[in-house]
Amino acid sequence: MRKNFWLLMIALLTAIVLAACSGGDDGSGNAEEEDNGDDGSQITAWAWDPNFNIAALNLAKEHYDNENFEMEIIENAQDDIVQRLNTGLSSGTMKGMPNIVLIEDQRAQSFLQSYPDAFYAIGDYFNPEDFADYKLAPTSFDGEQYGLPFDTGVTGFFYRTDYLEEAGYTHDDLVNITWSEYVEIAKDVKEQTGQAMLSLDPNDLGILRVMMQTTGTWYTSEDGTIQLEGNEPLQMALENYKELMENDLVKLSSDWSQYLAAFNSGDVASVPAGNWIGPSVEAEESQAGLWRVAPTPRLDMEGAANASNQGGSSFYVLNIDGKEAAAEFLGETFGSNVEFYQDLVQEVGAIGTFKPASEGDAYQFENEFFNGQQVVYDFSQWMEEIPQVDYGMNTYGIEDILSAEIQQYLDGKSLEDVLSDAQTQAENQFK
Amino acid sequence: MKKLINIIQTNNLFIKIFLVMVVSIIAVSLLITYSSIRMSSNLFMDTFSITNSKIMNQITERFNTFSDSIVSASLEVDTNGTMKQLLQEEHKTNIEKSIYYYHMNDEMERIYAEVDPNDANMIVMSKNNEIFNMNYIKWPVDGEKLANHEMIRRMEESSNDIVYQFEESEVTNGVPMIIASKALKLQSDFIYGYLFFSLTEKDLKKFYESYTSAGNNVLLLTPNGKIISSNQEELVGGNSSELLSYAQSFEDEELEYRNVDVFGQNYILLSEYLPSLDIYLVNLINREIVADNVIDTSEIVFISIGIVILAVLATFLILRKMTVSISKLVHQISDMARYQFNKPLKETGGYETRKIAKAFNYMLNEMQDYVQILLNTQEKQRKAELDALQHQINPHFIYNTLASIKFMIRQEKKEIASDTIDSFISLIQNSLSNVEETITVEQELENLKNYVQINQARYGDRIKVNYLISPDCLPLYLPKLVLQPFIENAFFHAFTKKKAGFIQILIAQKDNYLICEIIDNGDGLAPDQLDDKTIKTKEKRQLFSGIGVKNVHERIQLLYGKDYGVKIDSEPLKGTKVMVKLPVYE
Repeated sequence: MRKNFWLLMIALLTAIVLAACSGGDDGSGNAEEEDNGDDGSQITAWAWDPNFNIAALNLAKEHYDNENFEMEIIENAQDDIVQRLNTGLSSGTMKGMPNIVLIEDQRAQSFLQSYPDAFYAIGDYFNPEDFADYKLAPTSFDGEQYGLPFDTGVTGFFYRTDYLEEAGYTHDDLVNITWSEYVEIAKDVKEQTGQAMLSLDPNDLGILRVMMQTTGTWYTSEDGTIQLEGNEPLQMALENYKELMENDLVKLSSDWSQYLAAFNSGDVASVPAGNWIGPSVEAEESQAGLWRVAPTPRLDMEGAANASNQGGSSFYVLNIDGKEAAAEFLGETFGSNVEFYQDLVQEVGAIGTFKPASEGDAYQFENEFFNGQQVVYDFSQWMEEIPQVDYGMNTYGIEDILSAEIQQYLDGKSLEDVLSDAQTQAENQFK
Repeated sequence: MKKLINIIQTNNLFIKIFLVMVVSIIAVSLLITYSSIRMSSNLFMDTFSITNSKIMNQITERFNTFSDSIVSASLEVDTNGTMKQLLQEEHKTNIEKSIYYYHMNDEMERIYAEVDPNDANMIVMSKNNEIFNMNYIKWPVDGEKLANHEMIRRMEESSNDIVYQFEESEVTNGVPMIIASKALKLQSDFIYGYLFFSLTEKDLKKFYESYTSAGNNVLLLTPNGKIISSNQEELVGGNSSELLSYAQSFEDEELEYRNVDVFGQNYILLSEYLPSLDIYLVNLINREIVADNVIDTSEIVFISIGIVILAVLATFLILRKMTVSISKLVHQISDMARYQFNKPLKETGGYETRKIAKAFNYMLNEMQDYVQILLNTQEKQRKAELDALQHQINPHFIYNTLASIKFMIRQEKKEIASDTIDSFISLIQNSLSNVEETITVEQELENLKNYVQINQARYGDRIKVNYLISPDCLPLYLPKLVLQPFIENAFFHAFTKKKAGFIQILIAQKDNYLICEIIDNGDGLAPDQLDDKTIKTKEKRQLFSGIGVKNVHERIQLLYGKDYGVKIDSEPLKGTKVMVKLPVYE
């Protein structure tokens, strides 16, 4: 009896202690399982602009019917994204990398060519032919489609109707002109109104790239050879640039705020830039009805188109767990959903490069600020004509060299010397 | 209710011990729980504040590195000839401007690389309000606004120093940031430009944010008491002079840490003044939250509760087992009297109770033995006493009787004297010589008749005595001198008022008893003289033998047991009836 009692007590104690211990184990076990579950379905995406590309991703998430799909969108500055991708991919560990990342088109090749295995080819999840042709070269590599084109950087020639009318030009006079004609018009505007034609930041050679792409050429050829010396479109662009400068047709800006202030305060007659400048132009409401958009001037060359590109980015899927889910999400939304693109234009103001979208209602919107012009539709039409260019790996590097040389060119150095010097420096640096 | 009280009473011992045990178990575990939580949280807070003061040093180091980089960058700008020249020259044409902008940018970018790792922005503004902005996103400032801001005036006034200030106004588009500014001056005090470094509060936070956690907060405080940065966003922009005074006094007192009450809560405060930025770096640790995160109070509490429950359960079971057997024992012992101390205790229950019961039973047996011995001794003694009394014939009786006989002889009542002497001889013979305790009724009757004859001879025959004896009783035995005291009593006391009467002696068998009755028709007795078993008399009288009415009953009971004895009924003026109940002995 007595012995039994103590045995019972010991058994009771052991049972309680065991129960407490095993209880703890259960708890931690569950937590681990949950973590694993999250890894499977949780997709992360990196983008940089909460009002633009992050808003677009959020909109896409709303349009995507998949209950199991969860996506976390992380905002990072664009430079940070570039830096972190470079660090992450070059170290070879994909830890901490996102599933989806937005990369600017002109940088894309440097990633695709440097780390071809890090990205997941997503050509099977959508039809690349549905997208503007010019987008395909920067987003593909070695015959595989890696990027899903997002926004277009299709350029337009925004101009002040009042100033140009005063100088004696109508809309028709400005459609499908060449850059030489643009310079001539600028001279007339300066003469008649005293206003500069455009605003430029000497540290940003975007305008040269816009000019160059109308002919389908770039600083580098498709096989990556640097072609500055003897690059006829580049020469022509530089000549136009210098002529604008020499005749004081430009209002120079030292930073972005001055650049914006130049057209918002009415100091310049036009803004030849990517369509994304539109909202900044519209920001000055007192100028409503005074603006219109004409096609981008082309370089005076055979085969040049009155359409060009400045900026624009595409989505890429990294070759890590969850890539299928990520690619499927992109394919179902950005890759094929016409309705989504209508909302994208209306709610975010982003013009995609998905060609079927331009037939939708939202694209027909007549913008009162631009005198009732169907601006979005026009852009989407011009977009399809943008000559295709392979941006290569070193666009920004070459531009650093070139901008130093350009100052000497403005200072009187001959164009041939400028280009051949730049060519030598670039070859030394990137070979 | 009564039942409850009864239960409480029977379980009194258990309840008392159990309550004491429960209270002490709970008290002990409470105290241990409390003190272990307190000790561990104190220990934790000590180590925590040591770690935190090291962290403070690291943060300070980061701030110093930052301000060093700003100082060295501003020095470079100050001494940069190209920029000095470009900013002073006039640039009229587009080409001149383009070259100016380009080179400014080029030079600045080189210098900016030093500041950039801290996410700071660098801006140079020329006299013409041209802005050279190295990171537009960090501070999209407009030249006009900046030129008209009071910052410029302050900068101009403060000569060579770098001026730090916190701005959250229109000039920063409402984004809170720290701006370090410096006027670029020639030796002649001519100002040719302005240099700004900005660091948004968000980026400033990165300096210390990784060291913070729930309850472990960092704040940056200006000497005006304004909170310019904190990981607790709701505090940013607020003023706390209270906190400032704590921070300032902390600096003076050189404490390791101190306890303060701010924002309505109790915190541990560590503070460090950063002279390069002219701000106070304050670390507020919410003791409760931080300790709670590390010390799992609920686990300790649960463990103690578990131990308490187990201990109470164990105590309950063990105590119950012990006290129930003790209670049973007590119950049995208290019932002892009812069973004449004859029933031994049951030896059950725990070791202790069994031992107690055993000892008790042993003691009981011993006691019974002793009592038996004692009783036997007493009985023997009593018998001896009675024997002795029985054999004593009062010398006065002998003397008086002999004196009476002498008178009879003198009066020449020879016949009576001879009878009396016969009776006297036979009476003395029977009383003294017959050592047997019991005699036959016949013999007793003989004695009685002799005694009566002597008395009648002495005092006359006004008291008549009748004998009604059932013949079958004659051979039966009865104790010697059982009836004599009652007759004596009747002779000497029943007829003091009435001078004559009679005494009847009846002896018969009834229901297996030998019943002897002595009935007189004398004065009777008052109730206060009567005791049912005996007659109370005051005077000390001379009796025939040592045995009086008093000890007859006692004697009978001693001889035969409780069923037998004397019973007396009396009514004043009517008479007395004494009934002696005896067993039938042949």
